[in-house]
Amino acid sequence: MPKKGSPPLEGELLQGTLDLLILQTLVLGPAHGHTIAYAIEHRSEEVLQVEHGSLYPALHRLEDRGWISSSWGTSENNRRARYYQLTPTGRKQLAQQTSRWEELVRAIDRVLRPAEE
Amino acid sequence: MEFDFLRRFRRFFRRRYWDEERKRELEAYLEIETDENLARSMSPEEARFAATRKLGNTTRIREEIYNMNSLGWLESLWQDLRYGLRVLARSPGFTVVAVLTLALGIGANTAIFSMINSVLLRPLAYREAQQLYLVREIVPELSQTYPTLPANLPNFRVWQSECHSFDEVAIVGGSAMTLTGYGEAEEISGGMASSNLFHLLGVVPELGRTFLPEEDTPGKDHVIMLTDAFWRDRFRGDPGIVGRTVAFNGTPFQVVGVLPASFRFPRGAQFGGLGGGLPSGAQYFKPLGLDPKQFSPLGEFDFAAIARLRPGTSAGQALAELDVIQARIAKEANQGVGLRAVIIPLEGAVVGTARRGLLLLLVGVGAVLLIICTNLANLLLARLPARAREAGIRTALGASCGRLVRQLLTESALLASLGGILGVGLAHFGLQWLVAAAPADLPRLDEVHLDGRVLAFAALTSLITGIVFGALPAWRISRADPQQTLKAGAVTITEDRSARRLRESLIGFEVGVGTLLLIVAGLLTTSMVRLLGVDKGFSAEHVLAVDVSLPPWSYTKLAQKEEFYENVLERVRVLPGVKAAGWISRLPLQGQEKVDGINLPGQSVPGLQVPVANYRYVSPGYFQAMGIRLIQGRLLEAKDRDLDVALVSESVAKKMWPGENPLGKQFRPGDDERSRVRVVGVVADVRMVALEEPPFMMVYLPVGSPRPWSGSYSSLVVRAAVAPETLGPTVRGAIRSVDSGVPIRHQRTMADIVSDSVAVRRFQMGLASLFAVFALLLAALGIYGVVAYSVARRRQELGLRMALGARASDLRNLVLRQGLSPVVAGWAAGVLAALAAGRLMRGLLFGVTADDPLTFAAVTLVVLATAALACYLPASRATRVDPMVALRYE
Repeated sequence: MPKKGSPPLEGELLQGTLDLLILQTLVLGPAHGHTIAYAIEHRSEEVLQVEHGSLYPALHRLEDRGWISSSWGTSENNRRARYYQLTPTGRKQLAQQTSRWEELVRAIDRVLRPAEE
Repeated sequence: MEFDFLRRFRRFFRRRYWDEERKRELEAYLEIETDENLARSMSPEEARFAATRKLGNTTRIREEIYNMNSLGWLESLWQDLRYGLRVLARSPGFTVVAVLTLALGIGANTAIFSMINSVLLRPLAYREAQQLYLVREIVPELSQTYPTLPANLPNFRVWQSECHSFDEVAIVGGSAMTLTGYGEAEEISGGMASSNLFHLLGVVPELGRTFLPEEDTPGKDHVIMLTDAFWRDRFRGDPGIVGRTVAFNGTPFQVVGVLPASFRFPRGAQFGGLGGGLPSGAQYFKPLGLDPKQFSPLGEFDFAAIARLRPGTSAGQALAELDVIQARIAKEANQGVGLRAVIIPLEGAVVGTARRGLLLLLVGVGAVLLIICTNLANLLLARLPARAREAGIRTALGASCGRLVRQLLTESALLASLGGILGVGLAHFGLQWLVAAAPADLPRLDEVHLDGRVLAFAALTSLITGIVFGALPAWRISRADPQQTLKAGAVTITEDRSARRLRESLIGFEVGVGTLLLIVAGLLTTSMVRLLGVDKGFSAEHVLAVDVSLPPWSYTKLAQKEEFYENVLERVRVLPGVKAAGWISRLPLQGQEKVDGINLPGQSVPGLQVPVANYRYVSPGYFQAMGIRLIQGRLLEAKDRDLDVALVSESVAKKMWPGENPLGKQFRPGDDERSRVRVVGVVADVRMVALEEPPFMMVYLPVGSPRPWSGSYSSLVVRAAVAPETLGPTVRGAIRSVDSGVPIRHQRTMADIVSDSVAVRRFQMGLASLFAVFALLLAALGIYGVVAYSVARRRQELGLRMALGARASDLRNLVLRQGLSPVVAGWAAGVLAALAAGRLMRGLLFGVTADDPLTFAAVTLVVLATAALACYLPASRATRVDPMVALRYE
């Protein structure tokens, strides 16, 4: 359930989109939960707020599917943190999901702006 | 697509590990975030608090992940089970009553089903038993007396060579031979069979071989196959028995094989009665050894013919082909009669009338279980208001309606499973009792046991039972409005009208089913009473019967046999306690034997159209000993030896000489042209085959009459002044003192013979009555429960009525009226159902119609009186309500 008081776009995050964002973030290299959330928020210029209530279950789900793997490591400021990294399957999935996403966006785009063509 | 099941299962068992991991991970997040907040120059508390707020409800996150790892249904089932056990443990009284009644119901159903499983579902353990048919013959001119006849030897040989619809045909007849050289001389009963019988049945011997085709011919037939039980009992399971020679009837027989322990063969009666008898538990088989040429094509219908239908051929085709053959045989015989055939599935023939009776019992015992379910549903409904509050709280806390229903159903399934487990235990013991009580007529009774199929039935019954009695309360609770139940508080949840109506209709249903069962049991009981009260023609009390068979090697001439019978009689008559004694060649109620024509001189009626009677040889004293009434003329006396005189039964006199004086009339027994017998007396008709069957025509000839008679088997009938069984030892002693080498086959009282002849009925009646009484008691319990509950609920109202001036009798009548109205409705429905179902009962009744007013009236009285009593107890409690206490109650 979405938490009250989150930025407007949060509740509208499409099902499965968070997975895609997490996978994309991990392309740059292994990261822990905090970094992933920060990276998504930062790169979307704060438009997308990551709900932690969904982040961790999503990480768990992705790991369960074998798209990412995790291990304990030490963070920049010497804290223990669980680091996630893409698996080869995850990489393949990311490519597939990204192209499907782009297809979807183009399709919606065509629907929203038919008059201009 | 997402989670493959195995992976999910692995996760399921590692979910605690993962929970720990995620907890640590979330803590790590908090620390990192707190560090960052500190870097943003927040105070430590502020930093921690902000981090926590940002992360949100960690428990919720962990729960979500935990659920991802769990198998939802399994987990909630486990929860429901544990919770259900706690709920049941909290009300032990209810639980014990529920489990016990369920155990009784499920146990009884399981026991009856295991009988049906053995007797009906797999009656014959032969290869492809459904392809086996019994062939019987029909002589249309005889169909009044004998609708169908067993097969005869020459016709069987014709079928064997000409009927292409059959893969194979075999015949079996009864046989009895005296075994000597192994302990006391004893008559052993067995079968004589065409050599291909075991091949046809697909039975492979345990030792040795089966018969060879040439062993069917006379002279080569001195070979024998033993059953496993006989081999073990008499020959101590000697593995070297095959090839050895054993003396039967003073003739050496070579043992060629031993049948497997699992081999069973139907009795002659299950084949519709055979010439040689063939009692249950045939102990040996010998080849036919008969020459078909010595048999006429239209006589000696003494054998059971078993055919294996050719695959792909229908029974109809086989019958059509057989009838063509039969017509030709009849034409060639040229006796002015026709000949047809009928083929009956062997399994059906063997199971016979047992089917309807057993199915009736299953329906009865199922109805009892249904009443148990209804009672439990009612009890659960009564407990519902208390549960409704709990359900309301759970709904308010977010439980889904499905979850609540599942919880209640889990509870009832739990009860039913406990009842089922206990029930299987009860069935195990009940079955031993049932098998002991069941008449030996039920086929394969000795093989009844609890097997996988029975256990599966018990499990399924328990499950369905649980769902049936749990469904109604579950449905009610799922519709309960949580707001209402919570608002109403614990004490005054007024029972709404629909709940009361529901409980009343359950009571009506119970009473209806109970009434129906009672009527069925009542009709069976009335049938039994009528049957036992039927005029048997003889009086069974104080009569002992002892069967002997004379060893053929020491009694070769008829005169020797007659001398033996006379000598025994002389000694028995003077024994103390003996009032009368006499011999007869076959006892009443033991079936037909020696059926032959009554030919009147000067009349020429074509062969098979001659009226036929059962002929019996009797010694002087028989009629006095058996208590058979003399109607006209005189009884047989010692001076009648060597005279051609006879007694006839009343029906013979009426049929042969209507309106004339039968005394002094003459007739020829059978085809014998020379001799004539003269009627000297008329005696009462006697039930020869069964109490249900009208008497057959009887002719009694004196022992020593010039008529041909083998004389090897006879029964000594003794009328006693004391309890007849106490005479046993002295009578046996008298027989031994004449010749100790004569085996005594049976010794029993005529009362036992009468009682055995109605054993099937008694069994059905006994069980049906047991179920009906059980049903009535359960219904009474149900009525009591509902009325008592409603009185307890209405204390306040009743107290108010009393305070306003209602008298005790007014209150009692009020409660009685309300309690009895569903009873009356249920009774009416039960009566209507019984009238509608009467047609199904017809074959099971005797001397009573399915709508017998007396039975219906008696059942009505019993039902209403029981229900009134069940209502009266709580109703009188209502009158003892103290108005002050009741009004203060709130």
